[in-house]
Amino acid sequence: MTEQTPQSQLSPAVNNGQPLLEVRNLKMYFPIVKGIFGKITGYVKAADEVSFSIRPGETLGLVGESGCGKTTVGRCIVRAYKPTAGNIIYRRADETNVDLAKVDNKELQTYRKDIRIIFQDPFSSLNPRMNVYEIISEVLRVNNMCSPKEMEYLVANTMEQCGLRPEYMRRYPHAFSGGERQRIGIAHALVTSPRLVVCDEAVSGLDVSVRAQILNLMEDLRRDMNLTYLFISHDLSVIRHICDRVAVMYVGKLVELADANTLYTNPLHPYTESLMSAVPIPNPDVRERKNRIRLEGEVADPSNPPLGCYFHPRCRYARERCKTETPVLRDMGNDHFVACHFADELELVGVRMA
Amino acid sequence: MTINEIDLALANRASGSPAIESDVRVEVASQWQLMWWKFKRHKLAMFGGTLVLFFYLLAIFAEFFAPFQFTTYNDQYVYAPPQMIHFFRDGKLSPYVYGYKFERDPISYKKTWAIDESVIVPLRFFNRGDPYKLWGLIPSDVHLVGPVNAKDPFYLLGADKSGRDVFSRIIYSARVSLTVGLVGVAISLTIGILVGGVSGLVGGVLDNVIQRLIEVLISIPTLPVWLALAAMVPLSWSALRVYFMITLILSLVGWMGMARVVRSKFLALREEDFIMLARLDGVPMGRMITRHMIPSFLSHIIASITLSIPGMILGETALSFLGLGLRPPVVSWGVMLQDTQKVAVIAIYPWLLFPAVAVIIVVLALNFLGDGLRDAADPYQ
Amino acid sequence: MADNNNTLVQVRDLKIHFFTNEGTVQAVDGVTFDIRNGQTLCMVGESGCGKSVTARALLQIVHRPGKIVDGDIILYRKRSHNQTEEVNISKLEPKGSVIRSIRGKEISMIFQEPMTSLSPMYTVGNQIMETIRLHTKADKNQARERTLEMLKFVGIPRPERIIDEYPFRLSGGMRQRAMIAMALSCNPSLLIADEPTTALDVTTQAQIIDLMQGLQKDYDMGILFITHDLGVVAEVADNVAVMYLGNVVEYSDVRTIFHDPQHPYTQSLLRSIPKVTATREKLEVIRGMVPSPFRRPSGCPFHPRCPKAMPVCSQVEPHTIDLTENHQVRCLLYDKSARNSVREMAQ
Repeated sequence: MTEQTPQSQLSPAVNNGQPLLEVRNLKMYFPIVKGIFGKITGYVKAADEVSFSIRPGETLGLVGESGCGKTTVGRCIVRAYKPTAGNIIYRRADETNVDLAKVDNKELQTYRKDIRIIFQDPFSSLNPRMNVYEIISEVLRVNNMCSPKEMEYLVANTMEQCGLRPEYMRRYPHAFSGGERQRIGIAHALVTSPRLVVCDEAVSGLDVSVRAQILNLMEDLRRDMNLTYLFISHDLSVIRHICDRVAVMYVGKLVELADANTLYTNPLHPYTESLMSAVPIPNPDVRERKNRIRLEGEVADPSNPPLGCYFHPRCRYARERCKTETPVLRDMGNDHFVACHFADELELVGVRMA
Repeated sequence: MTINEIDLALANRASGSPAIESDVRVEVASQWQLMWWKFKRHKLAMFGGTLVLFFYLLAIFAEFFAPFQFTTYNDQYVYAPPQMIHFFRDGKLSPYVYGYKFERDPISYKKTWAIDESVIVPLRFFNRGDPYKLWGLIPSDVHLVGPVNAKDPFYLLGADKSGRDVFSRIIYSARVSLTVGLVGVAISLTIGILVGGVSGLVGGVLDNVIQRLIEVLISIPTLPVWLALAAMVPLSWSALRVYFMITLILSLVGWMGMARVVRSKFLALREEDFIMLARLDGVPMGRMITRHMIPSFLSHIIASITLSIPGMILGETALSFLGLGLRPPVVSWGVMLQDTQKVAVIAIYPWLLFPAVAVIIVVLALNFLGDGLRDAADPYQ
Repeated sequence: MADNNNTLVQVRDLKIHFFTNEGTVQAVDGVTFDIRNGQTLCMVGESGCGKSVTARALLQIVHRPGKIVDGDIILYRKRSHNQTEEVNISKLEPKGSVIRSIRGKEISMIFQEPMTSLSPMYTVGNQIMETIRLHTKADKNQARERTLEMLKFVGIPRPERIIDEYPFRLSGGMRQRAMIAMALSCNPSLLIADEPTTALDVTTQAQIIDLMQGLQKDYDMGILFITHDLGVVAEVADNVAVMYLGNVVEYSDVRTIFHDPQHPYTQSLLRSIPKVTATREKLEVIRGMVPSPFRRPSGCPFHPRCPKAMPVCSQVEPHTIDLTENHQVRCLLYDKSARNSVREMAQ
């Protein structure tokens, strides 16, 4: 792998204020184990040389199709997984840096309350055998963060902020609907007053009308509580709605990163273009005008990716160079990063406007 | 908040809110309440549960429920047949049984019994009879029912070869047979949870070794192992030591199934989102296991325990029947059934098989109960 | 809804109730719609609105304890060139021979998760061949020929290899293609697609939608497309039925639904979706949530969440009103007579 990494090129982000979190060359390889003797026959490269930074107060979107590694990246940041290699530089409140990829489990505890995660499935992410108060307050209790009296107040307060009635804190999760459960999940994440929240497909399992409520709630909370979001989703409309900047992943690699408007209207990577082209637009008049790019073939196998650019077998602009040389994420100016050899030459179209 | 209040108000108004109160009951219900509500709907399991409870009560208060001590004998009434209890005499509540008369068969000179309707044996509730010490502690002589005159014959389920009351002996046997199941399950549960927990939580090579070991052990046929182990118990041991040895032998086989169940539960739970969230909350390992993981499968474990008690009871019965388990003077259903090893006995004195009936009832009842518990074990589907 | 001889299925006042221990749930409560040959009807709604149950009723495969309690499902079976035969599916025995001859032959269905309808025990080819042989007189070789043809037709690469693969060896998109191949193998006149692309990625979804639209043209079949994704609706629908708590609250052609919706639910729903074309702005929300089916609100079931609710809405259940020939709405805003009658009663 080339050591010519984008971290130095990411400096524009660093200049206008330090990033809250900087991910550098993150690698997460999962071994493929076969047989009873646990022989490792290969690795699934779920995240490979991923680099990006999150600025304080912004919402960064991480988008891609299933199996592209976006969830893995999110879980590495909250340290559900220990990354195989790379750095996760977190800037503490006292303006000093710490590499979350290197700290041991004990030290990690101090950052667990700063960086929280919200899961997709509001049904499997709440323990059905604990009531709402126990679920939300568990993190306070095990970390001795406050007295029992304060705990009750804090939980009630957080529930109220998330649009839940504090009177319901003795109820069990089965008493709540999907949308309310997701609010409980949000309250669980926010009760420690975190600085960064990783939202892993946090609204994907919800009904349309409830999804809008949760999206608005998350937006309000971000403003009120000074939150920074890493918003992971496969839904391009939701990402467009809530994110300031968007990163696109394909087979474990970051292929494009830009300001949301730029990315949607003026993508530089052919994969981003085909994603944009595939999004269904809720306007029947658009469909006659559409000129959809149909992707050929299947997403590459992350345990056995193709040589060169991972996207080249499906790319309609692929040339000889793409088959041998892996493109590096490079700065195209204006905070627009792309991993494509021909980003300067290609004329790509963004999302079809209504 | 306001939106929610409006909603609630609207929902209340819309539904006329008669359902609200019962809904709140469900919403604050813990898993045990939900399980109980679900279990209650399972009629057969409720019936089984009641029966099991009844048998365990009999076992606990055996001295009180049994009309006689299990050692009390009367050589006048060897192999006396069962009597029918009558509750009313001359329209008044006054329980009695008919006495016996015996004849000699003119050809074989064998004693044969017949009920003599002219002799009335009066009975009394809370009768003072054989003195005993309840649980070896509280001295008393009150029995639920017994003959007013202690020398009178009273054999509800007949008498055995020494003229002892089969009914009383079945009740005393329940104490041994039913606790063998409980103690055995407790031992196998402890071993099972320990081994399964280590296997499921630590994983890796250790898990592999433990699983292969269990596979080897589980493939050894049960009965020969039991027989071999039981045969090694020295004859000189006291009844109590033999009893514990036998339970240990029985549970040696049971723990493997339990270990597998526990391991698979731990493995499945490790992948659950809410466990990962708890881990990210910083919940330490011990609390994770006791507070987050075990409650999630405790109900399943209870159900599978209930379903494994019958195996223990049957195992004890089989061993004792073969003379390799408990030995007289200890009574258990298996020990009692030793008397039925001769076909002739069964043909002439079929009431000696009543202990087998007790075994069948208890085993069935436990199975019904376990079935219901298993269905109720996951109330969140 | 004008009857014309292009009608394939007529559903009239369909009612499906679920009889559970906790009470009766009116999952589908008087639903009326038509499906025409060569056209796509999209049924859209949130969870619990009864869209999937309605679809299953067309094949008489409603899950227990659900039961069709009332209403007609008239299927116009093509017999010969100009002749059709009417069958009322709602009156058929769920296990009878008539419905079995319809299932998979005239009406076939594809599901969200193809693995629920593909057996893991048999190869893809085996399963498609069996469907073909069940409904036609084809022999083994002919069935295999036809299967290969179908697999190629739905865009599966190397069909001669895939035909002998087991379903779990295929990717999600390939499985859904195989499902479609199986569903289309007997040339059905109606294809029911229950959230066929919900589990798929956008690029795969686009492929499957293209495929279905192409096939529809070739076969002139009617499609009943069930989805909760309004973007997909805009892409595939000719007509749209918007459902809420067991009712079709609005029915019209796709342009009218998107550009001139009349029911407050449709209006709010359209405003509450984040659009890929618009930048961040506050989404309009529908307050509250879909009520539990056991607590169906009185009157118009939408009234507790409706931004235009009137006092009368909690008392009177609206009827379906014809706004134009092809635009029906079920809302008291458009039903003067019902409102007046209540007012009179009050006075």
